[in-house]
Amino acid sequence: MVWSGLAVVAAGLFLLRVWAAWPDAPGGDELDRVILLYSVLPRPVVAILAGAALGLSGLLLQRVLRNALAEPSTLGISAGAQLAMAIATLFAPGLMVFSPALVAFAGGALAVGLCLLLTWRRGLEPVSVVLAGMMVALTATSASAALILANGDYLFSLFIWGGGSLNQQSWQPVLSIAPVLAIGFIASILLLRPLTILGLDDRTARSLGLAVDAGRLGMLALAVWLATTIVAQVGVIGFVGLAAPALAGLSGARTLARKLVAAPAIGAILLWTTDGFVQLFSGGGGERIPTGAATALLGGPLLLWLLPRLRMMEWPTIGQAASLARRTARPWVLVLAVAVAVLVVAGLALVLGKGPDGWIVANGALLADLANWRWPRILVAAAAGGMMAGAGVLVQRLTGNPLASPEVLGVGSGAGAGLAALFAFNAAVGLPWQFVAASVGALASLLLILAVSARAKFGPERLLLGGIAVGAACGAVITAVIALGTAQSYALLGWLTGSTSQTEPSHAVVVLIAAAILLLPALLMVRWLDILQLGAPVAAGLGVPLGRARGAVVILAALMTAIASLFVGPLSFVGLIAPHMARLMGLSRTRHQLAGAVALGAGLLVLSDWLARTLIFPYQLPVGLFASLIGGPYLVYLLSRGVPSRA
Amino acid sequence: MTDVTRVKTGGRTIGETLFSLKGVSFRVGGIQILPELDLDLETGRMTGIIGPNGSGKSSLVKLLARQQVPSTGSISFLGQPLADYSNRDLARRLAYMPQFTPSAEGMTVAELAELGRFPWHGALGRMDDTDAAKVADAIDRTGLRAFADRLVDSLSGGERQRSWLAMMLAQDAKCLLLDEPTSALDLAHQAEMLKLVSDLTREKELTAIVVLHDINMAARYCDEIIAVKAGQVVARGTPPEIVNAQTLAGLYDLPMGVMAHPATGQPLGYVL
Repeated sequence: MVWSGLAVVAAGLFLLRVWAAWPDAPGGDELDRVILLYSVLPRPVVAILAGAALGLSGLLLQRVLRNALAEPSTLGISAGAQLAMAIATLFAPGLMVFSPALVAFAGGALAVGLCLLLTWRRGLEPVSVVLAGMMVALTATSASAALILANGDYLFSLFIWGGGSLNQQSWQPVLSIAPVLAIGFIASILLLRPLTILGLDDRTARSLGLAVDAGRLGMLALAVWLATTIVAQVGVIGFVGLAAPALAGLSGARTLARKLVAAPAIGAILLWTTDGFVQLFSGGGGERIPTGAATALLGGPLLLWLLPRLRMMEWPTIGQAASLARRTARPWVLVLAVAVAVLVVAGLALVLGKGPDGWIVANGALLADLANWRWPRILVAAAAGGMMAGAGVLVQRLTGNPLASPEVLGVGSGAGAGLAALFAFNAAVGLPWQFVAASVGALASLLLILAVSARAKFGPERLLLGGIAVGAACGAVITAVIALGTAQSYALLGWLTGSTSQTEPSHAVVVLIAAAILLLPALLMVRWLDILQLGAPVAAGLGVPLGRARGAVVILAALMTAIASLFVGPLSFVGLIAPHMARLMGLSRTRHQLAGAVALGAGLLVLSDWLARTLIFPYQLPVGLFASLIGGPYLVYLLSRGVPSRA
Repeated sequence: MTDVTRVKTGGRTIGETLFSLKGVSFRVGGIQILPELDLDLETGRMTGIIGPNGSGKSSLVKLLARQQVPSTGSISFLGQPLADYSNRDLARRLAYMPQFTPSAEGMTVAELAELGRFPWHGALGRMDDTDAAKVADAIDRTGLRAFADRLVDSLSGGERQRSWLAMMLAQDAKCLLLDEPTSALDLAHQAEMLKLVSDLTREKELTAIVVLHDINMAARYCDEIIAVKAGQVVARGTPPEIVNAQTLAGLYDLPMGVMAHPATGQPLGYVL
């Protein structure tokens, strides 16, 4: 019902466009006719085809990996394809001329291959796969961003295209996507039976006579091909691959055969409708707001609304996940060692820098001069990193979900949406107001996610899906404000990339004090957190005041995220990485993990701040993205080394 | 505590009213799970609650543990309305094990048991020697001394359930509520777990209210059995009073037979 309604809306919007672009007199203006034929008409067709392909690709991935969170962007396929195309454009332009689709496929396949290789020993356990995928995606995105920034204008078009624009100049993309989609669809229909069996566990599948690994590999290749074709033709459009299969299941498609039809159909409708609205609101050509971002604005709330009604969950739950990581015998010694290492890094960052003539170790008068510039940003990076990591530990313990973090749950983006709303009224407001707006945004988004998922008893998948939906919707708000192209946009864009380069000493002191004020109560809550991760029944049984304890943790986490993301942007992923690093290093009790994660987070951001300002001197790279570039590979390494999970 | 109803039998106190339910009903989303129920439960025994799936036995225990609030009626616990206890006050008197114990990720047995001391100190209070002694005793009583520093998640199912029991013992509550503590265990571990709970109620003068699936297991270890069907108490009494062909057939809607245990002479129910 909902879907046919949306389809009607989309068709209506499309007719509106056609009517607006219709040449007035027959044989009249030749240009109008060309625009109609080669721009207006192909656009919805591309939207429909791309949406369907993404929906199908997401469904295949989720099925083959038995992972409700698998989709082209969570597995790093889109990011890998994007990076491959950026590299090819720079270093082997010939390849791009020959076949962009091939380049994209190679990148996507490499990304997903890496992701699976790293988690193979853990039996492709869903949490690990998605963690690895997100890390691969982040690393690839950071690398692409670094390439784009380092090469200035030359690649800027690539950046815009990265947002997923459906602007068309010809029918060529349609002709490229259509056959791939057709082949993919027919192949899926033919492979319906093996696909159904692959949804069971490996042993059952094998006992039913299926060549599990070969079948899985073939399906994966098909899904990657579908996804990367879209990346090559229209850019990165996230969320559709995740939302379409989930929404198909929610709207009552129970069997795989029905899902195979429903998921692409819903994906197509989702993208088509969104694109219709984008064209409607952006007036002219609709080139301002990337459709990829806007998809989230429509699909995010839709997914949130449907989430509590989620009945089907045919995948094994990811609850019992994670690893039996080894524990250190002397946790406090380890925490101290990490803290000392962080201080050393901070000291190095203070004296070591790059000048026009190469590396300079500052001392004496030079150091005194430079220190004035450097210490505020080092301090801000450390405080923000510590707070992000602290918030990560709080959220993970609160939900008992190893994948939860302020970034994944969209709390950082929520802070950004609050900021965007503020900027939309007045760009020149001071820091206190920015802080209030960011805090309100962060708190609201966190409460929204927790409210939605509490109705579903904090099921781990639902929590993450809800978080991704909120994050995507908030991200779309931010993108929309940026796309307005006003003075506010630049302020917001700067915030989004997370730059510490303009930090004033007074800000640094304020942030440091805030970190101290917020982290201290967190340390006093460790006993609550130890118990809360065991779930509500046990916590209530032990006499923990559930409402008050949860409320306090949520507020603390939201405030920390808000302040930290004001300075380093919402996408640092320190809040996800640092707690895991601490845990995998052997700090498993809450108090040790919290202390260790705060130290690691601080160190991670100080290090990335230093790298960001020296690596391609005199340019500055975004700090937040750099943090994921450093932390991501390390986390993935730790994951792959983890003890094989208990059978 | 009033001594009016207290009767000493074999060194333990039986007969004091622990829970008193008056007109308690429970509904979720318009579905009546427990129709009006009046029930008194007494201290010093191990009481087994049995019944078919969906009979409401689990809901009953959750109401007793204040995990859920009755839709109508009132429950009193040790003479006071259950609702009047503060969270930690209640937790010092009543320990609850949910049907599905969560993964205690990254925690050792000793650390899990130590959580049982939370009701006595809250989030900030310092732990002292008494607490350490209670935790140590709980670990010894559950036979987990050798596993004290092992990760809970690395243990077998039976050992894991005993770790949770250790946490409940460290809580030092006089009443234990266990919701199907044996559902995931093999026969030997079921017997071991129930014998442990039964011994503990005797030695430590505890009260245990245990939801169980297996009628013969319940009959073997419990002092009293309450049979629940469709939210109503259909039978209540000592094991020999409950385990007879007529009661069992009515409870499970199955033709059932009863024979004497070859060694102990206790009645055993079986499906005809």
